[in-house]
Amino acid sequence: MSPGPSSADIDTYTATDLPSVLAAVGSMIVEIVGEDYLLDLEIGMATSFSEDLELESIEFVTLAEKLAERYGDAVDFVAWLADTELDDLIGMTVGTLVTFVAASLDSAAPRTS
Amino acid sequence: MTLGSLSDVPIAVVGMAALFPGASDLDGYWANIVSGFDAITDVPPDRWDPAVFGAHPEEPPRPDRFACRRGGFVTAGATFDPHAFGVMPVAVADSEPDQLLALKVAAAAIKDGGGPDRLLVRPERAGVVLGRGGYLTPGLARIDQRVRVANQVTSVLRDVLPDISDADLERVRLAFQDAVGPERPEASIGLVPNLAASRIANRLDLQGPAFTIDAACASSLVAIDHAVRELRSGRCDVMLAGGTHHCHDVTLWSVFTQLGALSTRQRIRPFDENADGLLIGEGTGVVVLKRLADAEADGDRVYAVVRGTGVASDGRDASLMKPKVGGQLLALERAWADAGGLDPSTIGLVEAHGTATPAGDSAELATLAAFFGGDRSAETSEANAPVLGSVKSMIGHAMPAAGIAGFIKAVAALHHRVLPPTLHVETPHPALAGTRFRICDVAEPWELRTSKDTVRRAAVNAFGFGGINAHVVIDEAPRVAAVDRLVPTTKAVVPLTDLADPVRDGWATTMAERVLVIAGPDRQSLIDQLDGSDDDVLARHHVRGRLPQGGVRLAVVDPNAKRLALARKVVAQGSRWLGRNDVWFSPAPQLGAGGGKVAFLFPGVEPTFDPRVDDIVEWLDHAPIDFGGADHLGYQGRAIVSIGRLLHRALGHLGVRPAVIAGHSIGEWTGMIASELIPPDTVDQFIESIDPGTLDVPGVLFAAMGCGANVSAELIDGLPDVVVSHDNCPHQSIICGPEAAVRVVVERGKQRKVLAQEMPFRSGFHSPMFKPYLTPIRAHLDRLPLQAPVVPLWSATTVAPYPDQPDHVRDLAVRHLLEPVRFQPLLHALFGDGVRAIVQLGVGSLTAFADDTLRATPILSITANTPKRAGMDQLRRVLAGLWAEGLDDVRFELLDTGLHDTSLPDAGESAGEGGGTAVPLALGSPWIRLPNLTVTAGTARAGQDRGALSRTGDPLLAELDGVLADALRASQDVMAMLEGTAPVAPAAPSEPAPESSIEEHGRTIEVSTAAMPWLLDHCFYRQPEHWTDESDRFPVVPMTAMLDLFTVEAEAMVPGHVAVAITDIRALRWTAAAPPIDVTVKSTRKDHPDGSVEVKVVLEGYARGTVRLAAHYPEPPAPDRTPLENEGPSVVHASELYSDRWLFHGTAYQGITEILAVADNGIRGVIEAPDAPGSLLDNAGQLMGYWVMQAVDHDRLALPMRVSAVSFFGSPPTPRTPTTCTVWFDRVTDEVARSHMELCRPDGNVWCRIIGWEDKRFDSDDTVWPLLQYPERHDLAEQQDGGWVLVRERWRSSASRELMMRRYTNAEERAHYDRLTPHDQRSWLLGRIALKDAVRRFLWNGSDAPADRHSVFPIEVDIAHDESGNPIVVAPTMAAGMPVSLAHTDWLAVALAGEPNGLPVGIDIERVAPRQTHFARMTITDAETSLLFPDDDRNCPREEVTDDRVFTRIWAVKEAAAKAEGTGLHGHPKRFEISEVDGTRHRVDDRWIDTTTITTTEGEYVVAWTLIR
Repeated sequence: MSPGPSSADIDTYTATDLPSVLAAVGSMIVEIVGEDYLLDLEIGMATSFSEDLELESIEFVTLAEKLAERYGDAVDFVAWLADTELDDLIGMTVGTLVTFVAASLDSAAPRTS
Repeated sequence: MTLGSLSDVPIAVVGMAALFPGASDLDGYWANIVSGFDAITDVPPDRWDPAVFGAHPEEPPRPDRFACRRGGFVTAGATFDPHAFGVMPVAVADSEPDQLLALKVAAAAIKDGGGPDRLLVRPERAGVVLGRGGYLTPGLARIDQRVRVANQVTSVLRDVLPDISDADLERVRLAFQDAVGPERPEASIGLVPNLAASRIANRLDLQGPAFTIDAACASSLVAIDHAVRELRSGRCDVMLAGGTHHCHDVTLWSVFTQLGALSTRQRIRPFDENADGLLIGEGTGVVVLKRLADAEADGDRVYAVVRGTGVASDGRDASLMKPKVGGQLLALERAWADAGGLDPSTIGLVEAHGTATPAGDSAELATLAAFFGGDRSAETSEANAPVLGSVKSMIGHAMPAAGIAGFIKAVAALHHRVLPPTLHVETPHPALAGTRFRICDVAEPWELRTSKDTVRRAAVNAFGFGGINAHVVIDEAPRVAAVDRLVPTTKAVVPLTDLADPVRDGWATTMAERVLVIAGPDRQSLIDQLDGSDDDVLARHHVRGRLPQGGVRLAVVDPNAKRLALARKVVAQGSRWLGRNDVWFSPAPQLGAGGGKVAFLFPGVEPTFDPRVDDIVEWLDHAPIDFGGADHLGYQGRAIVSIGRLLHRALGHLGVRPAVIAGHSIGEWTGMIASELIPPDTVDQFIESIDPGTLDVPGVLFAAMGCGANVSAELIDGLPDVVVSHDNCPHQSIICGPEAAVRVVVERGKQRKVLAQEMPFRSGFHSPMFKPYLTPIRAHLDRLPLQAPVVPLWSATTVAPYPDQPDHVRDLAVRHLLEPVRFQPLLHALFGDGVRAIVQLGVGSLTAFADDTLRATPILSITANTPKRAGMDQLRRVLAGLWAEGLDDVRFELLDTGLHDTSLPDAGESAGEGGGTAVPLALGSPWIRLPNLTVTAGTARAGQDRGALSRTGDPLLAELDGVLADALRASQDVMAMLEGTAPVAPAAPSEPAPESSIEEHGRTIEVSTAAMPWLLDHCFYRQPEHWTDESDRFPVVPMTAMLDLFTVEAEAMVPGHVAVAITDIRALRWTAAAPPIDVTVKSTRKDHPDGSVEVKVVLEGYARGTVRLAAHYPEPPAPDRTPLENEGPSVVHASELYSDRWLFHGTAYQGITEILAVADNGIRGVIEAPDAPGSLLDNAGQLMGYWVMQAVDHDRLALPMRVSAVSFFGSPPTPRTPTTCTVWFDRVTDEVARSHMELCRPDGNVWCRIIGWEDKRFDSDDTVWPLLQYPERHDLAEQQDGGWVLVRERWRSSASRELMMRRYTNAEERAHYDRLTPHDQRSWLLGRIALKDAVRRFLWNGSDAPADRHSVFPIEVDIAHDESGNPIVVAPTMAAGMPVSLAHTDWLAVALAGEPNGLPVGIDIERVAPRQTHFARMTITDAETSLLFPDDDRNCPREEVTDDRVFTRIWAVKEAAAKAEGTGLHGHPKRFEISEVDGTRHRVDDRWIDTTTITTTEGEYVVAWTLIR
């Protein structure tokens, strides 16, 4: 959706510095899935957790663990997942997660303005 | 033993193998028979060269020139693997090919019957009898060339060229002999005729009688007669019998030409009134026979039972060519008497001798009338009459092997319970009416004919030249319990219509996914084997019979370019690859010889339960599994157990058996059954004992925790009734306890960032809370007889194998219900026990638990069922994974089609443990040419010197002159024919091509409406008439126009040939012509050694198909008369199809002029197609599509995606020719509709047959469908009180979404859409639809009657954005911009349109869900707190807003206000302060905002929108 009021959503905030978050999340996924498996795939924003990565729900848990290790309280992946429907999880892309992480970091950061 | 007691000892057929034209194994042979495959082809030039031996029509008959050039030829199967049989490779070239083929087929028959270890334990009591004629077979012909002809040539040369020197003559002789082949004195032994049988005895170590017999065309059945007698007399316990004939020598053709027995029309049509002779065939068939009593005692699979055999000669009546009814009748009488005096009226099928010679057919029909009677009134109906047939109509006359060809056909027919078809009977022979028999032209299920019949019964005739007659009576095998009968019944063979087509090659690829299997001693070997083009690699290595051996293995299921590329990378990298993307690679297989064990793990209850087993149920002929109450835990439990058992049986059948069994939760019960700890015969009682109603424990809750059991143990600390019930793996455990307490644990988990989810069932299993409910289960357990398991069963309670003592087992079964499932420790223990592969028998998470637990170990885990794909397809992946990991004896072939019921190895590769490669056998004798040899003296050249020769007046020279003239004329004719200038010869000879040759061609075509203006009549989307952007109409190339293109490409590549079939047709995506695109067309020509030509045409990225070409179209088959069920008139008239917009097609594609009938399973209509490419077949597709529309109540839109095969029997009818099209539906599922079709010309002749036409069904419900038909008057919006609209996602698949997207968008919008992620595409599209429909509704003024609405197409509503991103709408009849607002969440969108030029509007929708407290703190002002929570005396209510609905409403109101303001919240919700509340209405500044809640299956939502006061 083009930027504008109509896209506002209670659960999304402006995201910053997506590339570095993507890199971090990507390396977590590599650790979980195993480097060997990524021969055929480059992890990007559009990579789908289920279709491309074939991530099992348990691997999601591992991912949550790694996010918590790295970002601590700033990113509440668990609460966010709890808010998300199973169907949405299935269709979720790495981009969705990265955007969420970036937004969480953004809102946790002290406001300068 | 007296002679009397010898008769009526039933003899079982326990093994069979076949090699006949068009079929290199039994499977192929039977599949050909059922499908009515005509294996007759032109003579391959390596047998005899039509350029040399072909006769010319104007020429008087000659014994060395043959007008007939067609017959049945074994090509692909004519190979032999010397290593497999311990034959010296050099000896292969010198041996008579039929000996080697007989050996190969005999070994395949033994293997088919269970192998030598099963059948040949007492070799001294095993023998072989083969029918074989004394013809000039290829080996003999070669020795004749070497010994006699070479010398004859030099002798003639010396006579006619007296000047020639001895040295030159010697050079000619040596050159000639060299060309025949190298000479090896030791090889001559290979030509002794009886070796056909003796080689078998030698290589298979049979020590009973082994001999060949010659009774002309009766040879094979006389061989069976001998074999039966050996068995009945008790001299032998196992007999091989059969026949072999591989001799297309010119001498044999000459004999039949001189007899006038060959069909001058080159068609073999037994029992047709116009039959005019036979065509010569060849082949080898062998069956394995045992006494039925022995076979049953030994547990052999019995195909059928020989009841009686009879042999008789015509006696003094015998004459060479005139068959005698008397001798034939005597053979029949003897056979039925031998069968114990069976009643001839019980006959169901006679496989006739049926040579298609007028004299032969007449005599045979007279015999049949005399013996079986001619009274047809005895039959209840014509369809009920017994069937007469002859396989010669498909493969030609295989001479001494003809009897075994018929015998195997009849046995297979009994076994499969199918009455097989006979080809080319267009007008039945008049004498047929004097018999009780009928002829079927398509395969039919074989039902018992009358209630008094107890068994299906067949008989086989074989009558030989010279008056030797044989007859065999065969019964179907005694019934075995249905549950053990893995043989597909006729039900599994159906749809027969699928196979009733001359095009067969496409089956292997269209009916099942291929599996690529490569093995080798090391990784380099695999790298080498993967070298080459994808097509080559696939052709070489896909599964076909025996699997390769080797210590490094790779398997790829459904290999495509991407997977092959991945496979190459994986192998290059070298580490184990365990199935991602359907690729498995193991550098060191651990199963099989590796010693690792396979464990079967049975899953328990999980939150989602969506197995896919329909196809497996059908395949195994299993009772349907009841999912009826699968929402209910108990019923789901039963279904889980049933599916586990089903998959256990399926995998066992496929060669996968566990070394260890375990289960998760109630999966352990399935494990008890599978391990036979509970005896199989009491299982159903056990299942029944599970009362679904007892499995709910009220008030008890499970929660899955995303953490290990140790963390869960900490989280439940202090809550006395909560337990950790499952320790699944490091990242999952399950807790169980009273509802309230469990919710506390879930909350604690969230605080610790542990994912937690309540489970939807409440059984209390594996916790003390189940204790009160134990009594009935314990009582049932006590009644169950228990036995030692046949496979070790491990307990997840004790993490050890189950105890031996029945009482201890019962105790453990009770503990299992009360104590935790210790699955993680169990997995470690199994690994310690040597398990290296885990197969999950059902759907669930066990493989994930295993992967998580055993992460660091090289263990293969794979599920045998998944919601992701069809059951059989997933089983194929299990086999692929296990084979790659070292399991050898998996049987992919059983998954291929319903036709495969047993392992029927490819006869070409079957026999022993050779591991070598099969070499092709020369079935012809070389035609010697010596173009490079010149001699110095008297060189005679045709056309130069022959005048001089003639002038000498020497009669011998005159003869030579004639020969040379003939040769010259023949070669000129051939040249003319090749250039296409000759009058039509019966068949154009193909250039000899020793190996498949391949040619590639590529070009680019422009797909545009300028280049293809007719596409403007094939636009998916109706738009306003004035609309200029063609891309919005979506002109798409019809799939049928692609077929047209394929044909053009292929015919251009193979001049002089016509496209006779197109197979494996796939449309990969829409090929839209606006905007114009360039499409690369790549055509690859393949010339097969048998002379056939294929061109594979690929429209890169869009579509593909393979065109088969031939010199001329095949004869049309008889029209398919399979009736449609319940035919009725169409409610829609043909003309209304277009005018009422059932179909979107414009005039160039409007061809349906009449709908003759609409039936339950199909439709019939008349098409007069205009002249647009593919128009005729497109209209056939329209008929099919219309049937779907009127037959279903949802997902009515069906568009073609793929077609298995289209066959043409002539050039296309000219445009506007009334063509009758019949569509029979094979299956209609939620996703696809599949049909086969036939199109007939006005004269009734079949022009085209199509099989496997698949339409994809697109999601469309009662709201979507009218919109697709009348987009300008219908929408997707649900109008709401308050003036706003709601749109929800009504499509499941992305293809359906795309279809709707195009309905609503213009080119600019589509470009935007394409840039979005799929997730964002979904919500963007919903929003866009909501906006446009809100506007359209506004313009329609709320009128609900569609007819009254003035037309506004979605595309006419144009949405732009102002500088701040607010949407601005421009639409027809609107002078000013219209304020609109839009919001969406999940898969819902809401939109609001205001008065043109009026006040801005705002709307928002939010899901009612718990929010974190800081949201409330950020959102609600102090003033709002006192306004909205006046009674709340807490200090800071805004931080404690716990009512999710209230908070969500507050947020939505603010959001709507902010949107109307044109700014959005921008993180400052407090700026939009609610100052007044009136019921559901809220005031923000001077705006009033109304709210409501809507509830969907997904949850509850609040909508807030601005009111205009």
